[in-house]
Amino acid sequence: MKRVFFCTLLFVLCVSMSSVSSAQDGWGNLTGQIVISGDVPENQPEAVKDNPDKAVCLVDGKVPLDDGVVVNDKNQLRDVYVMMYTGRGADTPDTYHPSYEAQKAVKLTLDNDKCRFVPKASFARPGQTLILKNSDNVGHNCRIATMEHEHNVNIVKNAASEIVLGEESDKIPGEVKCDIHQWMDAIILIRDNPYVSISDKDGKFKIENIPAGDWKFQFWHKKGGYLKTIEVKGYEPDRRGTIEATIKSGETLDLGTLSLPGAALTK
Amino acid sequence: MPRLFYQLIFIGTALLGMAGCERSEPPVFRFNSVEWVKQEKTHLSDDEHFPEAYKTEIGTIMTALFGTPDDPKFPFFLGDDDPAHDIISIENLRMAAGPTRVDKRERASGLYREHCAHCHGITGNGAGDTAASLEPYPRDFRLGKFKFKSTPLRSPPTDHDLTEILVNGIPGSAMPSFRTLPEDQIQSLVEYVKYLTMRGQFERFLLGELAALDGEPLIDLSLVDKPSGEEPSEDDIEEFEDQMYTVIGEGLQERIIARWLRPERKVTKIEAAPPEFDMQHQEHAQFVQQGRELFFAKGNCMQCHGDTGIGDGQLNNFDDWTNDWIKSADVDPGDPASYSDFSAVGALPPRPVKPRNLTRHYYRGGDHPDDLYLRLRNGIEGTPMPASTAMTSDEIWAVVAYVRAMPYLDSKKNGSVKPVNKKQVMR
Ligand code: HEC
Ligand code: HEC
Repeated sequence: MKRVFFCTLLFVLCVSMSSVSSAQDGWGNLTGQIVISGDVPENQPEAVKDNPDKAVCLVDGKVPLDDGVVVNDKNQLRDVYVMMYTGRGADTPDTYHPSYEAQKAVKLTLDNDKCRFVPKASFARPGQTLILKNSDNVGHNCRIATMEHEHNVNIVKNAASEIVLGEESDKIPGEVKCDIHQWMDAIILIRDNPYVSISDKDGKFKIENIPAGDWKFQFWHKKGGYLKTIEVKGYEPDRRGTIEATIKSGETLDLGTLSLPGAALTK
Repeated sequence: MPRLFYQLIFIGTALLGMAGCERSEPPVFRFNSVEWVKQEKTHLSDDEHFPEAYKTEIGTIMTALFGTPDDPKFPFFLGDDDPAHDIISIENLRMAAGPTRVDKRERASGLYREHCAHCHGITGNGAGDTAASLEPYPRDFRLGKFKFKSTPLRSPPTDHDLTEILVNGIPGSAMPSFRTLPEDQIQSLVEYVKYLTMRGQFERFLLGELAALDGEPLIDLSLVDKPSGEEPSEDDIEEFEDQMYTVIGEGLQERIIARWLRPERKVTKIEAAPPEFDMQHQEHAQFVQQGRELFFAKGNCMQCHGDTGIGDGQLNNFDDWTNDWIKSADVDPGDPASYSDFSAVGALPPRPVKPRNLTRHYYRGGDHPDDLYLRLRNGIEGTPMPASTAMTSDEIWAVVAYVRAMPYLDSKKNGSVKPVNKKQVMR
């Protein structure tokens, strides 16, 4: 009985599937600025301990603080990924703005500088070339491990190695680590959907040339995972830290100031 | 479209068929509770837990798709045309699965339980009865990572790679050689390892989805199979189709099975060694010397393996099977109290992964020069040992020549063993 039902269902399904895409013309942008409300979690000193390369890893002769939560003097927060949601149940555009084609050809650099990855947070497209650079006078290994990608590259002092990323897309950022200096960490998101912005030193983000339409956008930070407690005026983020926003042709949707309780960043 | 069509028939009938019929025959595949606890600690606050119902749901989905230790199944979504038939045959799985026995025609089955389960566990979770006392621990297949293979990181090993492991064993570890088993039995075990791996990868994927679910089921059958018997709405159907796609289509078929289909196309090419690599060649000694220089400069090898190559450069790293749970949850590997929640569900105590002692002539992944070339070119998956991406193939060969010469050279010339490490490393 159930099986009969199921087979009719399949028929319905296949028919209903073929009529989804709706025409869109025009593109819009999404902007905003993220600030921490309440206490900003304190960064602890990096666990340099008595690593033999200590001399290279100190900054001004001192053990640097971890760069897990980076804010400016106004508590505006760096390194938040604001990204079109591509996870479970997501609706995503079939085509991207042509301006994103060029992005893929750019070589992205990830430096090791005083035993710290620079930049802390990056975004790459599948197939893109990564230059793993080492400005330090000690060797590092660079271990990239995301849901879909994995590389572990020996990088010699004062030199660089190049790798070409595979074709798979991740849904959330993954990690970059060095086994020789275990406190070193960075994050990288590798995916084809280019609608991603990482908040800058002033907490600002801007995603450009999004197809007009209703899309879900997700907020994610290494220390907070899905930022479900972020406050966005006029929206209610869900458990996955996503909001659904309407992008209008030729317009910029400014989400204004988004405030994130510092308590969200304790992972 | 046909792909989706078959998926739905397959899983739909399997799941509907499952409802209500409990199988309680031992032994059973063990639920991945370590991953469950890890996901809870990563995504929930201290007093929150995922609903227990997810355990049942995951169990149901797993059994519908992969069967049980006595009765293995494999999700051939496209029926007889499914490309996965090239990598898994049910006959081979049956030969490896089940209790150990020999039938009237002297055909053996239950090979996995006979030869492997006491170390790798019935589930392939690396937690068999003897596991805790072995160093390194037996492999947990569920992460889908393999150390000694001809393909780069994240690409599955080929059947040939797995066969080599079974035939040769892993010298310097407890993993024995199964050289005496006939070819067909080895092949059946190779396929069973792949089966346990894909099964374990999929279970981990399902557990990884929980945090984003907000209490709703992974696959909500009631969307289309309404208790009231009423017809599902367009929206219900669309939602159901979406769930099916995310969980089965994308999660299992595209992310896991499809990648196991033809690992051969990812095999790393081994460039021919230059003539000086030959021990008889008049410039062989210079070639070894060049390798020695690379070991300390471009190779960066001493940073982990130590100046003498004894393996004392880095002693505080963990492998990925351990890092997988200790990193995500504020665990201090030196303090058992900090990981008691994990120990309670079967996680073995974390132990550092040691860089190999290169002054001894044993290599876990095989001592053929090609094996060493691959280790250097690609690194060793799941461990800190990195790929020497910046080296040319001739440079790699020079380092291989030096590594092979190391047991016979006086390595103390290079420096001294750090006294604290002497005891730890000599094995
Ligand atoms: C006495 C314990 C023991 C037994 C029995 C055993 N293994 Fe292992 N096996 C190990 C250990 C230990 C490792 C991990 C070695 C390492 O990490 O370097 C391992 C690793 C492996 C690997 C991973 C190889 C790689 O490249 O990463 C495979 C595959 C494997 N075993 C398959 C099997 C199969 C199949 C059987 C039964 C036919 C079996 N093992 C029996 C202990 C055992
Ligand atoms: C970041 C640390 C690190 C660096 C750098 C490193 N290794 Fe390793 N190496 C390891 C670890 C850890 C293992 C043990 C892996 C395992 O558990 O099987 C290893 C294993 C090995 C093995 C054993 C392979 C086998 O089959 O048993 C060889 C040979 C080796 N390394 C050579 C080298 C050479 C040559 C270099 C320089 C080009 C190098 N390593 C650089 C950490 C490192």
